[in-house]
Amino acid sequence: MLAQTFEEAGLSTVMVTMMPFWAEKMGTPRTLGVEVPFGHTLGMPGDREMQKMIIRAALSLLEQAQQPGAMSEVEVEWPQPSDQARKDWQPLEASPIIKMMREQAQARAEGRRQET
Amino acid sequence: MPVDSFKYLPRSIAAYYQTLRVERVDSIPWTPLSKPLNQCRFALVTTAGIYDKAREPPFDAGREKREPMWGDPTYRRIRRDLAQGQIGASHLHINNRDILADVNIVLPVNRFAELEEEGVIGSLAAVNYSLMGYQPNTSEWRARYAPEVAGLLKDEALDAVLLTPA
Repeated sequence: MLAQTFEEAGLSTVMVTMMPFWAEKMGTPRTLGVEVPFGHTLGMPGDREMQKMIIRAALSLLEQAQQPGAMSEVEVEWPQPSDQARKDWQPLEASPIIKMMREQAQARAEGRRQET
Repeated sequence: MPVDSFKYLPRSIAAYYQTLRVERVDSIPWTPLSKPLNQCRFALVTTAGIYDKAREPPFDAGREKREPMWGDPTYRRIRRDLAQGQIGASHLHINNRDILADVNIVLPVNRFAELEEEGVIGSLAAVNYSLMGYQPNTSEWRARYAPEVAGLLKDEALDAVLLTPA
């Protein structure tokens, strides 16, 4: 969405994302997909090589893309087992919306118990 | 192997996301890159919800806690020479620990300064931008804040933007 506004204003954009699924649906001008945990778009902290590799792939897409909706991917070997990575990116305290959804689910379960 | 967009999501959230419908634009806006990379003036824009602790307030996490269906739509300025210790992070949907250790994983100011030095890109902007990506309703982004940031970038005669959602 930001990318679209920037392009309309005359800026060329390239987006790096762990969710190319969304980017494609939304119609992002240039998308580089990368399989990394949330909050780690360009890699691991302190890993300059990984960060640069992803950035260079993004610059190359920016340079080469010929038409809107261009997509490419870059392969990254994530240095953690996926179960651990899946836990590590999540906030220590559940976000407000997740808390709200959990409370609603609990209330529904409570309601069902009272009906039976 | 194609990128699996759902690999790191808890299963319940992944299932929910896959059912959501997205408004797709009829035609995708497009500005062709007008010059070689080594002449392009770049800006960086992230939605990781970071801010400069010395100069600007955090994003409004308090209101989001009271109203979980609201996300702060405003933006913050991040100078390219900002010291790592000055970075604050107010995103409630990710663990900010690694960003606070190395901002380059979401806003690569140091990496782009190196690319400028190496002559790979023309230059990196003095000021870059951060927004907070949790936006259940993007109407304020659309109507006000995204055009405002675009205008600020154009005022600096920038050519290209690296966008990094978190």
